[in-house]
Order: sequence, then structure tokens, then C-alpha cells
Amino acid sequence: MRERDILEGQLLEEAWLTLDQLAAACSVDPDWLLLHLEEGFFPQARSVAGVWRFSGAALVRARRMRRLERDFDAVPEMAALVADLLEEMDALRARLRRAGLD
Amino acid sequence: MQFKDYYQTLGVARDAKADDIKKAFRKLARKYHPDVSRETDAEARMKELNEANAVLSDPEKRAAYDQLGKGWQPGQDFRAPPGWDAPFEHAGRGYSPDEEAGFSDFFSELFGRMGGTGPGRRGGARTARRGEDHHARVLLDVEDAFGGVSRQIALRIPAADASGRPGYQDRTLNVKIPRGVCPGQVIRLAGQGAPGAPAGDLLLEVEFRPHPRFRVDGRDLLLTLPLAPWEAALGAVVPVALPGGEVRVRVPEGARGGSQLRVRGKGIPGEPPGDVLLDLRIVVPPADTPRAREFYESMSREFAFDPRGTERT
Repeated sequence: MRERDILEGQLLEEAWLTLDQLAAACSVDPDWLLLHLEEGFFPQARSVAGVWRFSGAALVRARRMRRLERDFDAVPEMAALVADLLEEMDALRARLRRAGLD
Repeated sequence: MQFKDYYQTLGVARDAKADDIKKAFRKLARKYHPDVSRETDAEARMKELNEANAVLSDPEKRAAYDQLGKGWQPGQDFRAPPGWDAPFEHAGRGYSPDEEAGFSDFFSELFGRMGGTGPGRRGGARTARRGEDHHARVLLDVEDAFGGVSRQIALRIPAADASGRPGYQDRTLNVKIPRGVCPGQVIRLAGQGAPGAPAGDLLLEVEFRPHPRFRVDGRDLLLTLPLAPWEAALGAVVPVALPGGEVRVRVPEGARGGSQLRVRGKGIPGEPPGDVLLDLRIVVPPADTPRAREFYESMSREFAFDPRGTERT
């Protein structure tokens, strides 16, 4: 393997996603995201001086909500509720793993 | 490649109405949703369901599939007829090119050339737009987070062929894993997504393979530290092998089984680095020789010790 063939990755926590980048990353229209942000469906999203920035967790959440809306014709509120529950479940599963119980 | 019977996948009749297809898909999607399903093959089944749904829920794709699929049996060796190059414009909906890239060879043979669904290809004309981002999940080992190792990652991504028609391409990338990566994080490879101006990014969602010794919680590493009774009672300095190298851990005098020792900063690197949490487990040596039995017998005489007594207090 030659050194120049190796790609250098960047961790998203160190490099936040912009609104357009997040929209592109989950194949949605930026307006879809804006609408969901205004309704408060992204509790972790932060806006600094009117500019949104998103973490890896927001990306996972956006993709989940989009799939729920698409697969089940879920209204955004329902998709957000299910995403909340899934995140809660992720956290509980992480605690189980931590306790070595999974 | 094998012919796929999408009607069978969704369990609907060939003349099923759009509503019935939607209903059948939702019912199965609920059963196999990877986040909640208890079925072992949930993820693979969900992919099949999505593929069948991508075709049957789209009137154009369904019509093309019906027309082409006449007379084929599921599992039969299938090849698209020569000249098959769907002449109609695809009205992108639902599934992203990224998801479609994950579908079967059969799907890409039939629909991989129908034109993509994402921005940049809409309207047919090539405009100078930012390329799409691609996604993939990548399975790493705990050890990978400790020293910038390089990993080969095999991906299937949407890509244009030599004549500019959209299709799929298998790619292998050598990726240097950033030090300090932990599960749930996303690694961005700038410019490795779809071509465009500028090119899209490739986003890798990180998961860790289960490790026989370590459990991972964020940046913390958890592991069990077995101790001999005398090490626990008298205190000891014991070696612990960690991905970042061996460390020596001081076990305090009177350590008890089931308690936890925290070694700060020796977990997954970062700002701040994670900790190592050691679950202490006291392992009793076997009494399998006369001399060992003698030891236990003299302990039994010398200690006025009732292990149940401590429980009652």
C-alpha cells in the first residue's frame, strides 16, 4: 500500500455539518430540515448566530426520521417521537453493554 | 444473477393495488425494522423489502419490471435483454441513490441505468452542482481507535459508467482511521462522494465489532480484572494489557469483588481521553492438591470469617 493511496478521514465531532451538508448527507431537501428544526424535532442541533451546525448524532436522527416518514407515511411529530424512543433505547442498550448484560 | 420476485418478497398478488402494496410493505417494515426487530436477519430482510418496495411502489419501475419479468421464475438465472436501457425519465422519489446502491445486482441490472434520484441529475442536464454525499457503515475493532491504523473498506456506491450513465461501482478504499474514533461517530472523507463541483463527501458511520475482553461506552473501556484473594486483601500492583499498551494498576488494600476501579485517561484517546473501568472479580484458587487443601484448612481455622455475616449488616 503506497502512502499516497491512503485517505485521511476527519471526525465529524471536530468538523460540524452545515444545514446544506446534512441535507445532502441524508438525501433530503434543506427545506425539510428547516421545517423540522423550526418544530424543534432536533433537540441536539445548535444554532450559533443564526447558523445551524449538526453533529454525527443529528445525522443519524435525520436519517431515521426521514425513513420513518417515508416507510410509514408518518407525520413529522410521530417520526420525531419514534426517533426519541429509539435514542432512549440506544442509551439503555449502551448501559446494558456497560454492565456486560447484553 | 438470479431473478427476484418482488411480489413474493412483499407477499402480494401480481395485480395488487398500490394501496395493498403499501400496506404489505408497512406491515413487513414494522416487523423487520432493524432498530427494533428481534429477527436475526432483520437488516438483510429490510434491505430486500426496501428493494421490492422501491420497484413496486413506483409506477414506472413497476411497469418496467412487469413487462420485463414476464415468464421468469424466482431464482432463475436472469440477464437483462440486450438494448435494455430504460428510455423513460425516472421521477425520483423515496429511496436515495445511496440506498439503491445497496440493493441486489438484479436491481442494478434493471434500474441502475434509469437515472438517479438525487440532486445533480434532476432534469437531465448536467449542472455544476455539489455532488451527493455517500454513506456507509464501517466495522472497526477497539484497537483501531488507538493508533492511526489504515483499514481497507469495501463499498458499493452509485457511479456513472464510461458513457456517463448512472450505475453502481464496487470500490475499495484505504482509509486512515482517525485516532480516538468511537462508536456512533462519523468519519468524513472529503471529496470521496459523488462527482460534482465540489464533489460530495463519503460519510462513514463507525461501529465496533464486539471484543472478547473490552466493552466500549463512549470513550471509556470496560473490562473485568481477575484478582487473587491475597491481591484483593493486601493490595497489589497488577499488569493490565490495553490496546494502547500495558499499564500497571494499583489495586488498593481491601479491594472487594464487584467494585470498580477507574484508571483515568487510559481509554480511547481524545480531548479528553476516556477512562478504563475495571470490574474487580476475585478468583479463588482451586483446592486441587493436598498442599492447597492444607492452606484452605488452616485459613478456615485461623479466620473467624463468616461471608454471610457481612451480607446481613
